Amino acid sequence: MNTQFAIFVFLALATLIGAASVALSRNIFWSAMGLLSCLVGVGGLYVMLSADFVAITQLLVYIGGVLVLILFAIMLTSQIQEISVSNRSVGLVGGYLIFFVVSTLLSFVALWAPWRLTSKEPVANTTVALGDGLLGTWLLPFEIASVLLVATLVGAIVIARKEVKSDS
Amino acid sequence: MFSRLLLIPLLPLLGAAYLMLAGQRHTRSVVQTIAILAVFASCVISLDAFFVGLPAVVHEGGISELVYTWFAAGSVEVDLALRMDSLSGLMCLVVTSIGTLIHFYSIGYMAHDEDYARFFAYMNLFCGAMLLLVLGDTLPVLFIGWEGVGLSSYLLIGFWYKEHANASAGRKAFITNRIGDFGFLIGMFLLFRATGSLDIPVILGAAQDGSALSAPLWLGQSVAFWAGVFLFLGAAGKSAQIPLYVWLPDAMAGPTPVSALIHAATMVTAGVYLVARMSAVYLLAPAALAIVALVGALTALFAALIGFAQNDFKRVLAYSTVSQLGFMFAGVGTANFAGGIFHLFTHAFFKAGLFLCAGSVMHAMSGLGDITKMGGLGKRLPWTTRVFQICWLSICGVPIFSGFFSKDALLGGAFGTEAYGHGLAWVGPLVGVILLVAALGTAFYMSRLYFLVFSGPCRADEQTQHHIHESPVSMVFPLVVLAAGALFAGFAGVPPALRELFGKHGESTLAVWLEPAVGAPLAVAHRTEWIVMGISTALALVGIGFGYFFYGGGYRAPAHAFARKLPRLVALVRDKFRVDEIYDAILVRPLQALCRITFLVVDRVLVDKILVGIWAFVADVGGRACRFIQAGDVQRYLAVFAIGLAALVWVAARPAAPKEIQVVVTGRHAKVTLVDDEARSGNLQYRFDFDGDGVPDREGKTASASWIYGGPARYTVAITIEDARWHTRRVVERDVEVRP
Amino acid sequence: MTITQFNIASASWFRPELALTAGILLLFLLDVLVRKQSRYRVAVLTVAALACVGVAAALLAFQPVESRAMFNGMIASDPFATFWKWLFLGAAALTVLIAARSDEFPSPRIGVFYALLLSVVLGMFLMATSLDLLMLYLAIEMVSLPSYAIAGYKPGDRRAAEASLKYVIYGGVASGIMLFGLSYIYGLVGSTNLTALGVRLESLAAPASAGGQLGLRVALMVAVIFVLCGIGYKIAAVPWHMWCPDVYEGAPTPFVAFLSVGPKAAGFALAVRVFYSFLASGGGPEGFARGLADVPWPAVVGVLSAVTMTLGNLSALHQNNLKRLLAYSSISHAGYALMGLAAASQLGVQSVMIYMLVYLVMNLGAFLAVIAIAQATGSETIADCNGLSRRHPLLAVTFAVFLFSLTGLPPLAGFVGKWYLFVAVLSHYAGDGGAWYVTLAVIAALNTAISLYYYVRIIRAMFIEAPAGELVVRPRVSYQIMLGTFSAALLLFGVWWNPLIEWTQASLTFLTRG
Repeated sequence: MNTQFAIFVFLALATLIGAASVALSRNIFWSAMGLLSCLVGVGGLYVMLSADFVAITQLLVYIGGVLVLILFAIMLTSQIQEISVSNRSVGLVGGYLIFFVVSTLLSFVALWAPWRLTSKEPVANTTVALGDGLLGTWLLPFEIASVLLVATLVGAIVIARKEVKSDS
Repeated sequence: MFSRLLLIPLLPLLGAAYLMLAGQRHTRSVVQTIAILAVFASCVISLDAFFVGLPAVVHEGGISELVYTWFAAGSVEVDLALRMDSLSGLMCLVVTSIGTLIHFYSIGYMAHDEDYARFFAYMNLFCGAMLLLVLGDTLPVLFIGWEGVGLSSYLLIGFWYKEHANASAGRKAFITNRIGDFGFLIGMFLLFRATGSLDIPVILGAAQDGSALSAPLWLGQSVAFWAGVFLFLGAAGKSAQIPLYVWLPDAMAGPTPVSALIHAATMVTAGVYLVARMSAVYLLAPAALAIVALVGALTALFAALIGFAQNDFKRVLAYSTVSQLGFMFAGVGTANFAGGIFHLFTHAFFKAGLFLCAGSVMHAMSGLGDITKMGGLGKRLPWTTRVFQICWLSICGVPIFSGFFSKDALLGGAFGTEAYGHGLAWVGPLVGVILLVAALGTAFYMSRLYFLVFSGPCRADEQTQHHIHESPVSMVFPLVVLAAGALFAGFAGVPPALRELFGKHGESTLAVWLEPAVGAPLAVAHRTEWIVMGISTALALVGIGFGYFFYGGGYRAPAHAFARKLPRLVALVRDKFRVDEIYDAILVRPLQALCRITFLVVDRVLVDKILVGIWAFVADVGGRACRFIQAGDVQRYLAVFAIGLAALVWVAARPAAPKEIQVVVTGRHAKVTLVDDEARSGNLQYRFDFDGDGVPDREGKTASASWIYGGPARYTVAITIEDARWHTRRVVERDVEVRP
Repeated sequence: MTITQFNIASASWFRPELALTAGILLLFLLDVLVRKQSRYRVAVLTVAALACVGVAAALLAFQPVESRAMFNGMIASDPFATFWKWLFLGAAALTVLIAARSDEFPSPRIGVFYALLLSVVLGMFLMATSLDLLMLYLAIEMVSLPSYAIAGYKPGDRRAAEASLKYVIYGGVASGIMLFGLSYIYGLVGSTNLTALGVRLESLAAPASAGGQLGLRVALMVAVIFVLCGIGYKIAAVPWHMWCPDVYEGAPTPFVAFLSVGPKAAGFALAVRVFYSFLASGGGPEGFARGLADVPWPAVVGVLSAVTMTLGNLSALHQNNLKRLLAYSSISHAGYALMGLAAASQLGVQSVMIYMLVYLVMNLGAFLAVIAIAQATGSETIADCNGLSRRHPLLAVTFAVFLFSLTGLPPLAGFVGKWYLFVAVLSHYAGDGGAWYVTLAVIAALNTAISLYYYVRIIRAMFIEAPAGELVVRPRVSYQIMLGTFSAALLLFGVWWNPLIEWTQASLTFLTRG
């Protein structure tokens, strides 16, 4: 087991455990912390994939922005920590059953599928290629994504805002 | 796409649609203007199409227009195609011109009715459907028109639906016509099966070739025979022939203009039109023609006899219509298609005239229709009387009047026809004799009607008498036009024998026109024709004379004496030979009983208890299960999501395996057979590896293979089944033990 | 041609979409600019939205008909796409017209609604044209995200909030799973381009070791099913239908009407693109039958179809809320339309197109009737229809026409749609897997019979039950006109369906391999 693999296992575990604690923890603060671990782990995986720009973006946007915002929201909202989970759903047995079936299947695929493997230079600057790609080959998705974000933002504001009194 | 011919049926249909939707909002004058204009415009277009394109219409197979391909499913292609040839053109002219007149007449007749717009909407609907019927160049289009006229007839018979009798008369017409339609549909399918097409020209072309339609079908008879018989069943329903005539007299419950237009002049002749249109098919099957002719002749006689003792003005005319339709069928049935259509043509005028006179008389008599209460109307209704006289003499077959020529054409055709083979040669003369008797009867009962209504003293009560008045111009005008038609229409078909007197040779105009559509007119020897003419004129005069003898100037002594002597016979005839009662006893009641039993067994027990019960239970359980899942929990939803996903993976991953593997070992010989389900076999490729070396020994599409082993041992047979459709492959193995 | 030049050249084939984008921005602006108190606010915004749709339609009409890939193989412009674009624009225009006179969009909020609606339409355009996995995912999100917002549009309404939240969670999971599947495909092939995927997958499938082959097969199967799940969620097919009734119940009805036809149609367009590109070896509808990863995909779709229509119909049986009933009915209709995909033939694709076209009119009509009823009675249960034929005959008769058409009775256009689906399925009768196709057709026929039961429940209420109380039902004039036009169209195309056939026939050309 070389160092690289060890790092990979560490990052993967951090991601998985973080994700699991987001879903399973009853304390919302711990969930947020789990999210932090998950996002950092993913960022690390990006580094391992030589995707430097994406990794940095991940750290900046998700950890620096989104996560901090979430933490602020949790801190500022007093009651939110005492949520009582009133989940009267199918129950754990069913959930575990589904989990094991699906995860077995996915593990099988992950292990046995003839993935298309490419090797890259350990560290190469991807920023230029990304920039070219976004304004060249991937121009349309890039632009569409921007329209999508505008629409989504406005939509979110519309549901979130209170009615202006004079309207009624 | 644009088609001038399409406008002919379309305009009345549009008028009907508009009046149905918005008619209530308009005043009467607007309603009547729209309705009349719609029919009149299509009349003008028909005239234009017919006469302007006359050579094309008559001689070149008619103008044919494909409006659009209605639908194409597989090999069936159904077109909305219209054709105006001499036959359909003539029908078009009759329908639109008489239709216009009767619309005009209805202004006066329906003036006091509340549902003015509805009435005109239905009338327009009828005209549109009838025009579609005659112009249709494919059987489905014709059938739509056929059903359309049936529908509007039903609606108009029950127009005053608040009276139970009217509504049930409508229903009777509807049901009787359904029986006929069933025959029409079967005939249509038979023709389609034999020729592979529903286009009338294609079918007629196939009939002229003969081979496809002369093939025997059932009971040793040809397709043409059965198609002809079933189509005639449809025609008999629509045209009120034995045994399906019972609806027509009851249909008189509708307003009189309806009776005149639909139940006398146009719709009821659709059956005759159908037989004439399909003439080529009928010519292939003389037996079918004979059936048509005999049924027609018997109907002509039977209905005329019933007409002797009817006391309702319109009912007498209704039986007379049935009888005259019988004449027409006897005509087309003796392969005298031009003659049949000629009679249809003249009959349209004089019968419409008679009905409208009936309407005018009933209008004058405050709605009363009982002829025993009439009499002496000749002086009070001068115009109506003149018109009635012309039409009466015409239907009796007095020379010069149109009915004389057309009836003579039918009689001469019956005696002179050569359509039947030797075995059926007796049919023609027999039909001719029956028709002569029927003609005598016709002259008698029509004279009875005339004398009882118009001559002698009036037998109505004071109040009614006081009201008697001539009808308004809007009603008299159409009467006069129709009378002119009844007087002159016959000259279109003057027989060759008479034409010679005036120095002309050859067939009449009408016969020449109709020739391309229905074949050459029957060549009847001039001697036969003269004899027939003489006899029929004599019979007409005798009939009128008898009528005068019994009823001239009201009921006379001989009439009373006859009724006293043979009261039972008179009652039997008055009760229409009790056919309705017979039908009731042998058909309606057993059917009702059967329905009740079926209802109890099938509906109550089988459907309600067993079928619905089980399904309701299943649906209920299913619904509960769905409700349990759809409780509102997103977690539960997502669980279903995941389970569904897993199930789908399972479904997708599931390979196909054979049901059973049979191994038969005899000595060193082993035979392996795979049993598979029907749907898969034939699509699978099998590879048998008997010795386990990985190389297939037998290969192919058959699910079994044999092999001879070298010596006794335990072998493993590996069979690879490949499904070329899905590209799936499955390997099954089976042990084979070869004993020493 | 360089990539940039290619992009610029593509823009001229992208004008309808550009018009829509401009319209979205314009509406956002107008929403702020037009005064909230203005009497003409709704009118101005509606006209603007319609104008935007109209401009897009005009540009679409002048688009050259040739097939081509645009923006470096991101999207396609072909007759197939044009057909769906017309359908989407029609649905959008009608929805705008319905929403304008609805009570469910207060005038301050209607501008944003139009803008979001148009962005959904833009997303549907992209769904019908995507040729790239990334584009495909973005397009689905473009349809979904604004929809989540609109689902929760009713201010202060708990049901609306519930609808929106459930929709978000459900849609999020579905698109997440789809993205996962897409990542598998990318991982196996190394390309995201649909036109290239098919070719590469074929070459990939050929030589490999036994273990690798199994791994590949399972991986592909899982990937395709995951992608199928994203599509299935958009068309609301079982088992991804659960969001449907709750969202339909809570969301504003005019939008539900749109949701039940637009995104569903877009889902089918996308499904055809996906199935007939990389799922089909050799390209073209017939190739679809020769499945990828040794899985009989048409059979899988057939099973989905049967289960979807059966569950949809069974669940609809006991519904009393009209919107929920129509939700289940729309699920079952997705099942019927899936039959066309299962048929895996030109005729199958064509029948789906015909069905979606007809379904658009009849379902919009049915929802419009529900809106009109709800405006008069304040709620939307079957009991609210009682005696409708006496209160407002036009509404009752047209609603009955829509319901009969949904059942598929002649002479209405719904019959034509269903007829072609049956023909498509039954044309396999004598061929491969014939018995299964016949079974599918039998199940569909049984389902049609079941569906008649709950549709007739409404009709019964309208025509037989006595009206409860003296309630005046007077639908708005524009609604009356639309109801009349829709039912007239259904009647017209029920007897004269050749134009539908010809149009869809002409639109069958689409890019499968670049």
